[in-house]
Amino acid sequence: MSANEVLLVPRREHGWRMGLANMLGKEIGTWWRTRRWWVQCLIAILLQNGSIYLNMKGGMRVDAAALNFLTMAGLCVPIAAISLAQDSILGERHSGTAAWVLSKPLRRPSFILAKVIAHGLGLLAAWVVLPGLIFYLQIAGPMGSHLSAAGFAGAMGLDFLNLLFYMTLALMLATLFNGRGPVLGIAAAVAWSGPMQFIVQPMQKYAPWLENVLPWRLMVDFSHSGPLAGYLAVGQPLSTVVPIIATALWCMLFVGVAIWRIRREEF
Amino acid sequence: MNTPDYVIETNGLSKAYGAMCVLKSLDLKVARNSICGFLGPNGAGKTTTIKLLLGLAQPTGGSATVFGKDIAKESDEIRRRVGYLSQDPRYYEYMTARETLRFTARFFYEGPRAGIESRVAETLELVGLADKADRPIKGFSGGERQRLGIAQAQVNYPDLLILDEPAASLDPIGRRDVLEVMERLRKHTTIFYSTHILDDVQRVSDTVVILNKGALVAQGPIDELLAWGQATAFTLTVKGDSAAVEARLRSQPWVTGIEEMSRNGRVSWRIRVSDPDVAEAELVPLALAGGGATVCEFGCKAQSLEDVFLSVVKESNHECK
Repeated sequence: MSANEVLLVPRREHGWRMGLANMLGKEIGTWWRTRRWWVQCLIAILLQNGSIYLNMKGGMRVDAAALNFLTMAGLCVPIAAISLAQDSILGERHSGTAAWVLSKPLRRPSFILAKVIAHGLGLLAAWVVLPGLIFYLQIAGPMGSHLSAAGFAGAMGLDFLNLLFYMTLALMLATLFNGRGPVLGIAAAVAWSGPMQFIVQPMQKYAPWLENVLPWRLMVDFSHSGPLAGYLAVGQPLSTVVPIIATALWCMLFVGVAIWRIRREEF
Repeated sequence: MNTPDYVIETNGLSKAYGAMCVLKSLDLKVARNSICGFLGPNGAGKTTTIKLLLGLAQPTGGSATVFGKDIAKESDEIRRRVGYLSQDPRYYEYMTARETLRFTARFFYEGPRAGIESRVAETLELVGLADKADRPIKGFSGGERQRLGIAQAQVNYPDLLILDEPAASLDPIGRRDVLEVMERLRKHTTIFYSTHILDDVQRVSDTVVILNKGALVAQGPIDELLAWGQATAFTLTVKGDSAAVEARLRSQPWVTGIEEMSRNGRVSWRIRVSDPDVAEAELVPLALAGGGATVCEFGCKAQSLEDVFLSVVKESNHECK
C-alpha cells in the first residue's frame, strides 16, 4: 500500500503472551499518564501518614505509631485495591472497550495479567512504598526511631501481599459477576470481617483455622495477637508463616479463576 | 501457498442462548476482495455472526472459517489479519485519536516507532481526522468516533475488514465519506459490513447477504438479487375510481403483485409484472378503460434493493408463521 509498510515489523507473540506487552503498556499508562497516580498518592498519604502525624503530636511511642500505621494500612489499602480492581474489569466490560481490545491480537489471559501487573505496581507505589517511606521519615526524625529498615521493609512486603489479596479477589469477582454490588459487597465483607469483633469471636469458636488461611492477621491486630507485619517491623520473629503462604496461594488461585472465567466470557 | 477463494465460509453456523436460537444454521460465503453488505432487520443475528467470526462469542453449532482458519481453534491467527469496527465503538476516553491508533497498531507491529507513527498519521489522514488527532476522544462527536473506528479497524491494513454499521450515527456527508473510504480500500481488502442503509449497500457492494430471524434468506451478487423475483416494476398513479382500476389490473395474468404506495386524492401503485413488454403496452389503456379514472403518472421502475429486502424479509416472515 505505501512505502512504510515494509518498515513495520509484525508482532509474532504466541500463546498466552499475545498482546501482553501492549496491553501492559496501556494499563501502566492509566496510572502514570492520567491524574490517577497523584490522586491515589494524595489519598494514601492523607489517610495513612496524616493519622500518624496527629498521633506524633500526641507523643505516641515509635512501636505504637508503627502498629497504628500498619493497622491504618490494613484497613485502607484493601478499599483502594478493591475499588480500582473491580472498576478495571467491570468498567471495560460495561463500556465495551474489553470487547474492542479482545477483537485485536490479544489473548484473554494477557488482558487479566496486564491488569494484575499494572495495578499491582501502581498500588504498590501509591499505597505501600510512598506512605511507607514517608512514615519511616516521620518517625526517624522527631521520634528518633530505631526501627530496622529491613524489618520495616518486610512489614511493607506483607502490606503489599495484603493489597494483592484484595486486588486479585476483586478482579476475580468482577469476572464472575456483572454488577458492582456483589463484587464490592463480597470483597468488602471479606476485608472488614477481620477487624469486627462480633464476627471474630464466633469465628474463633467455630472455625479457628480461618484466621490462618485468610490475610487478616497480616496487618490487623486480629484477636489481640498482634499483626504479623508488626512483628517484622519491630524485628521480632514471626509467630507463624501460614497466613502469609495461604494469602499468596489465594492470590494465585484468584488470578487463575479470573483467567478461567474471562476465557469463557462472551462479548 | 494456496489461498481459499472465500475469505469467510460458514457451515451450519448456529448460536443459541439457552432455548433462544439467535442464529440458525448459517451457510455464508464471502469472496476475496469483495464488498459484502450484510443486511437484516434489528435482531436478525448480524452482530452475533460478526462476534462469532471474531471469537468474541462461541458457536453452539456448525463451523466457520476465515482465511481458511477455524474460528474456534485459530482465532488468534484470524484476528491478526482482521480489522473490526463494532456497532457502538468505545475507546479509552483519556486517549487522543493518535494514541488510540498507536495503541491499536502496537497489537500488530513491534516497530520501529517511526514506522508506526507514519502509519498512524496516514490512517488519520485517510479518515479525515488529522486535524483532531491530538484531541482527547471524550470530546469527539458521534461522527468523529465513527471515523476513528474505521481508522483503528484499518490501521493494520487488514486482509478482511468487518464493519458493524459503519455509517450509523453519521450525517449524509459523513456517510458519503465512509463509503468513499470503503471504495478506496476495496483494492486491498475484503469488506464485510452490516448496515440498515440500503442505498449505501446498493452503491458500493458487490454481494449482499440478507438475514432474518437468525436465518439466511438471500445471498448473492447484487445484480442477481436485484433481478430476483420480478425483473421490473411499474408505477401508476390514477385519480378517480381507483378500486375499479385496481380490480382490472389484478385480473391480468401478467400482473404478479400490486402494492399501494400513497393515497392523497390520487392512488399510486407499484405493479410487479411477469412480462414487461405487455405491461408497458397495456397498463395505461387498462387504467383508462372504464372511463372513471384518469392517469396522472406512469413509469417503469427498476427494482431497488429496498424492494428486494422488504420482499424477502416479508416472505421469510410468512414462512416462519
